[in-house]
Amino acid sequence: MITKFITEVSTTFNPFLPRAKTARLFLSFLPPNARQTMKVDTKLLPRASRDPSLLQLKFKDGKQMKLDAEKLGIKGVVEEVDRHSRILSRQEELNGN
Amino acid sequence: MLPRVHTPSKAISSILRKRRPVRSQRQYATAAAITPAASHEQMTRSSSPIARYPLTQPPSYKPPEFRKSQLLRQYASLLRSTPLMLLFQHNNLKANEWVGIRRELSAALKKVDAARVAAGHPPEPLEDAIKVQIIQTGIFAAALRVVEFFKPESQSASLDPTDPATPSSATVPVFTKSGDELTHTLSKAAHEAVADIRTAHALAPLLAGPLAVLTFPNVSPQHMKAALSILSPSPPDFPAPTRRANPGWHDAAVQSGLQKLLLLGARVEGKVFDVDGTKWVGSIDGGLDGLRAQLVAMLQGIGGGVTNTLESAGRSLYFTVEGRRTILEDEQKEASGETAKQ
Repeated sequence: MITKFITEVSTTFNPFLPRAKTARLFLSFLPPNARQTMKVDTKLLPRASRDPSLLQLKFKDGKQMKLDAEKLGIKGVVEEVDRHSRILSRQEELNGN
Repeated sequence: MLPRVHTPSKAISSILRKRRPVRSQRQYATAAAITPAASHEQMTRSSSPIARYPLTQPPSYKPPEFRKSQLLRQYASLLRSTPLMLLFQHNNLKANEWVGIRRELSAALKKVDAARVAAGHPPEPLEDAIKVQIIQTGIFAAALRVVEFFKPESQSASLDPTDPATPSSATVPVFTKSGDELTHTLSKAAHEAVADIRTAHALAPLLAGPLAVLTFPNVSPQHMKAALSILSPSPPDFPAPTRRANPGWHDAAVQSGLQKLLLLGARVEGKVFDVDGTKWVGSIDGGLDGLRAQLVAMLQGIGGGVTNTLESAGRSLYFTVEGRRTILEDEQKEASGETAKQ
């Protein structure tokens, strides 16, 4: 997963629901120095809550992405993030950085 | 000294050869030893049955030489022996961050131990026994199922084949070659009992992704509070150590490690708690003794209430009866007055 262009990650999930696995796995996919390069905000819901897990991302170009983690699955989430990140990396290359 | 053996003469050896044609090796004549008569004990009691394997190594259904079988045993034993366990998700922590976190944790726990000793409790160093370890979630889930759901009936496991009192006709439980009657963690019975309950345990959804557990050898909220204030500080109840009191905790490595450590829940005496429940357990003042004191105070309050209630019932009964008596007396007087008139 290309995490270079993410500036903000905010997740909300109830770990006791099996569907929260996607959000948790997304957190574990961030690199070890992620907290220095981006803002990571995690909120745990109480056990009884049935709220869906949320995953919101912000990119360097200001694009906000609100992903339905439960429906996409971790593969789908990675695909979505990479699709936008590839566009950004191509722009960066074209600008000559 | 060389044994005194005589080579048999040709005639004798030919006879021997005729009698026992199967023997191909050379036979030596030996003095016939007289077997001593069996002792009384041997005559009256049969010999004890022989287990085909050591008691510590019963045959197992899962191949014991695999690492995952041994991990399963290790996790099952861990789950049986630790009543208090915190679960953390660790997101790509580096080795030096783990080192820093473990160092800070053990320092804080040592402080708690010292404080307990200073407060007059018997010295009971838990610091060595409380540790963070990263677990393999799938095997841990299997071990959890075995521990929680596989309850073999207490059968006659007391039959010891090495005990001379055990008759040889007795069927020793750990005796079958197929290992059908065994009930240890790696046994077939344990496997079949839990094979079809995949998600039944409440902790099962947590067991995915990178997971680490902090295990305590007994339920000690003080130690838990210290550990929580180090690993996931939350200001009112679990304040982070100040920079002056504990400068090591504010190291860059420890801080960046703690940011990536996420408390998910706890398992306290077989029950599953979420983060709030975990914090509640950690915030019990004075540990188990404190809880007992609270209970005693509550019971005393209840006792006072009970006596009041009982007394009030007695009192009201007294008033009722007294009232009834006066009414009856009045009626009697009236009745006697009427009869007097007539």
